[in-house]
Amino acid sequence: MSLVKIALAGEGGQGVQSVAEIIAEAAYNEKKQTIYIPNFGLEQRGGVSIAFIQVSDERIGAPKFNKADVVIALSERAVDRTTIYSDANTLYVYDQSFKIDEEQLPEAKKVLGIPAIDKANQELHPRVFNIIIMGAVIGLTNVVSFEAAKEALENRLGYKFEKNPNLRELNYKALEMGKIMAEESLKEGVAK
Amino acid sequence: MPNVIGETKKAFITGNEAVAWATLAAGADIMFGYPITPQNEVMHYWTRLAPKHGRGFLQTEDEISAGFTVCGAVQAGKKAFTATAGPGNVLMQEPFGMAEAMRLPLVAIIQQRGGPSSGTVIYSQQEVTLTTFGGNGEGHRIVYSTATHQEMYDYTIKAFNSAWKYRFPTFVLGDGYQAKMREPLEMYNPEEKGLEIVKPFPLVGLDGHIGDNREPQHLCNIYSMEEELYEVVLDFVKDYNAIIPEVAEYQAQQCEDAEIIILTHGVVSRAADDAVKILRSQGIKAGSFRPITLRPFPTNDLRNVIANSKAKTMLIAESAYGQLDRLVKQEIYGETIKIENLFMPGVGIIDYDIISKVKSII
Repeated sequence: MSLVKIALAGEGGQGVQSVAEIIAEAAYNEKKQTIYIPNFGLEQRGGVSIAFIQVSDERIGAPKFNKADVVIALSERAVDRTTIYSDANTLYVYDQSFKIDEEQLPEAKKVLGIPAIDKANQELHPRVFNIIIMGAVIGLTNVVSFEAAKEALENRLGYKFEKNPNLRELNYKALEMGKIMAEESLKEGVAK
Repeated sequence: MPNVIGETKKAFITGNEAVAWATLAAGADIMFGYPITPQNEVMHYWTRLAPKHGRGFLQTEDEISAGFTVCGAVQAGKKAFTATAGPGNVLMQEPFGMAEAMRLPLVAIIQQRGGPSSGTVIYSQQEVTLTTFGGNGEGHRIVYSTATHQEMYDYTIKAFNSAWKYRFPTFVLGDGYQAKMREPLEMYNPEEKGLEIVKPFPLVGLDGHIGDNREPQHLCNIYSMEEELYEVVLDFVKDYNAIIPEVAEYQAQQCEDAEIIILTHGVVSRAADDAVKILRSQGIKAGSFRPITLRPFPTNDLRNVIANSKAKTMLIAESAYGQLDRLVKQEIYGETIKIENLFMPGVGIIDYDIISKVKSII
């Protein structure tokens, strides 16, 4: 696998950094080279939170990058904040529910709108929105196998799953839903 | 020394966590610190680990005090250290200067952030001048600039050895990226790797009688006569120059047939390595040089590399506006190789930035 660069951005509390950490952990467990770096500016005081992930079979150089292979914006503000990481080779992903103009979307190889927020709210639970997004990252990039992702989720949330086994089921469903959503949108996505 | 790591193991952790484990593995007795981003987690992890291993921690009222308490603890024969960044690094220069004057084996981890002043909490290479030459007067120190988590671990262990072996304050110069990112490394018990751990020793309260069966300890940071100070400073210079061949470290790659040498340090050297690979695949012969010790600077090594290289140009790239550049130029004064610059103060440099710059100048 050659180098894959992913930028994940959202509001504080949306679980962007947790998802990035779980993906990076899963890649490490699959013996891949991986670097995860949070944007640790002053987002606790109300900024957009960004996570930069790189996965490769070979040693990875600089911890940050200028342009990502995949950008996922989890809030309307995150769209503005992430346009600089997108170029003609980028898959740019945002949620369909955002009220944004076509012109606000950045240059990209493909722009994909996915119904993650709606599906989370209507079919699962708002809390697993970030896990749907994690599934979407995997569906778009194949940086880690679905099994490795489940295992990393188990490592991270196992103690919660023990208390409430329904949560395990809910998270796995969310992961799968995200993956399928991403694969379908890849087929339908339009070049901008 | 107790084996705190157990079997050698792979880990996927942040640089700050790697530092905390390395200080533990090196046998550090106590950390004195004051919080500042991006080094906070060195403190956080240390405070979690220390009680389990019978080590100590004290949060002082500020950075000045943190530095001076380290100065005190090492005189009592304790392996003590601190960690800081940015404005905290400024405040600590006074105790660092005392460590230079009294030849104290102080260890400090610096995770550079943006400046001037509070700047950013994120990343830079703008604390090179301060960390290498931040003291008043002309003291001596050892500064290792790391590029990977493996090096953060290795050189933190080495820093304690250098400090206690040579009795010069020793610094591990990282940055916010290295502090906060996660990447794989191998953690090991140094003694299992055949690395000798230098034992600490007290500098005060020694047995015996001065003039009778032992020499006096001169732990002094102020002198009443200018001639006294003059002698002391010249002695320090002599001691320091004598250890340079043992202490100075660098990495050079593919410089012999290169048309251009890319000189970087720390985390930026990762981008330089990638840039060399890509440039060579495109038919441009590039090489790279990286000082690992910023002080003492590997001056003779760099001069030799330049002398044995075909390169007519050297590109100095750094996440600062010329701090490494100034350091290099004073060290290789007289060389005629043309020097070009890529200065990106307070932001990351990637292979693409270096490649574009190289193409614009050759």
